[in-house]
Amino acid sequence: MIESLIGFAAVLLLVLLRMPIAFAMGIVGMVGMTYETNFVAAISLVSRLIIDTSQDYGLSVVPLFILMGLFVNKGGISRELYQVSNAFLGHFRGGLAMATIAACGGFAAICGSSLATAATMSKVVMPEMRKLGYSDELSSASIAAGGTLGILIPPSVILVIYGLLTETSIGKLFIAGIVPGILGILFYLVAVQISVYRNPAAGPAGRRFSLSEKLQALSGVWSVLLLFFLVIGGLYGALDFWPIHLTFSPTEAAGMGAMGAFLIALFRGTLSVSETLTVLKETATTTAQLFSVLIGAWIFSNFVNYAGLPEGLRDMIVSADLSPWLVMTVILLIYVALGCVFESLSMLLLTVPIFFPIVIGLGYDPVWFGIIVVVVTEISLITPPVGLNVFILKSVVGDISVGTIFKGVTPFWMMDIVRLLILVLFPWLVLFLPSQM
Amino acid sequence: MKSIARVLNRLTELPMLLAAATLFVLMVLTFADVIMRSTFSAPIEAATELTRIAMAVIVFSALPVVSGRADHIVVDLLDPLFRRAGVERILDGLITLACGVLLVWPAMRSFDLAARARSYGDLTEYLSIPVFYITWFIAFMTLVTAITMALRGLVILFKPDLLRGAND
Repeated sequence: MIESLIGFAAVLLLVLLRMPIAFAMGIVGMVGMTYETNFVAAISLVSRLIIDTSQDYGLSVVPLFILMGLFVNKGGISRELYQVSNAFLGHFRGGLAMATIAACGGFAAICGSSLATAATMSKVVMPEMRKLGYSDELSSASIAAGGTLGILIPPSVILVIYGLLTETSIGKLFIAGIVPGILGILFYLVAVQISVYRNPAAGPAGRRFSLSEKLQALSGVWSVLLLFFLVIGGLYGALDFWPIHLTFSPTEAAGMGAMGAFLIALFRGTLSVSETLTVLKETATTTAQLFSVLIGAWIFSNFVNYAGLPEGLRDMIVSADLSPWLVMTVILLIYVALGCVFESLSMLLLTVPIFFPIVIGLGYDPVWFGIIVVVVTEISLITPPVGLNVFILKSVVGDISVGTIFKGVTPFWMMDIVRLLILVLFPWLVLFLPSQM
Repeated sequence: MKSIARVLNRLTELPMLLAAATLFVLMVLTFADVIMRSTFSAPIEAATELTRIAMAVIVFSALPVVSGRADHIVVDLLDPLFRRAGVERILDGLITLACGVLLVWPAMRSFDLAARARSYGDLTEYLSIPVFYITWFIAFMTLVTAITMALRGLVILFKPDLLRGAND
């Protein structure tokens, strides 16, 4: 067990020395396996993992969902989502900030990345909110917080990675993310209200939209909403009736989503050949990045398991007679602490191989734990000092200080903690929908 | 020197085009498979193995390019510290060089595995494509990645101005 702790420290050190996380985990795993067995066996294991991982059928879900998000984005959907939300929520106090949250939620439903959600939405809504006299604090915070929804509301790249690492059903994880995601939106809406209650000048109400304006705004997004229901409905098995009989595996759902998004963008005339090529190349690049970290994480977790770290920790917990909820609390605190320093994917890759066996050994549900990990990761995205979404926002918007955003984000952060507690105390909120599959 | 950078940039276009085209085919293939199965009850039987091959092609076409451009996911928490200490370039070079060098062994081992698949005459299930083509492609591209990273590391260490412009 001590070997794996040294290995873990070595990975941390290398990562902090700016070694790509894929290589840090891969190299430490390779060296560790050499120590545990011998050089030839270790190299063989590494090569086998490289060869097999890249040909894994289930992994094809990764590029296809990324592709779907990018194609939809090219269709200009972010602005339209915002217009719809604004038509329905804009006349409330803090309405634009609420519309931002709702639009982020909608955008998250087609895009699996929090950073992409925050970056895209900030370009659309920041100027609008400034025009209406919103405080920088509230407007930037609503985007940074709303952006975190990207990794929870399906499809989510982080959930796919968790599913692949732990061999948990990706379909179930996606469905399990729906209720906590909606809960997240509602809680953020409350956070907006708290902000404007404390400082009414921060978010003045906008004008009221007429019914025909509302309907017109809706007409822009119906195709994408339909696509989302097709993808998630097919995944859930809700579309299996005469005459269509559509049930999808995650890969198939992703393929349908990508193709659908491509066709929508094509119909709208927003997609040229060169843009299609750019989107495809960008997806391929992201895929290669994600696959390298996955392979690295697998090599590392092979070593950690071989050296018996999870069993060792489990034995320790059993012999110390710790109660499961205490262990869970400690794990969650570790996540929040790590989240202050690490970016979400790195954090997931480093911790899941170690915590997952323990948590499952304690009798927790793997799908539930996946959602909890993602919610904690979301929180880390807006936690000082290195909440990544805050920095993305800062780099996109420019003339705003990180301190301002963090200050504005506080009510959102607190609502996130409340949501986390609710999900931990009432696991059925997460597990009800997937149990019906 | 400028022209070397330009040639290198051109060179990266080819594998990226291959990856992009394969990805597009994968998307259409998955779509067609679902439609054929649900409406005509006639799934494309080779879809699974084609998907697997497509994935390998996408990942390993893009990997050398991603590595050569230093596009890997890194934790840049201590960057300001390294910059202030003035070790940023040396560190970056050493780390990249080490990654490249250490990747050579798995690449060579993959060639062995490809040769073994060839001698066994392994074929894919439906289309009877020899498995060693795929393994060999993976091995070759892993080696290209290793060499790219090692070279990049050396260039960062000894000829840092060369990278200007060749970076993207």
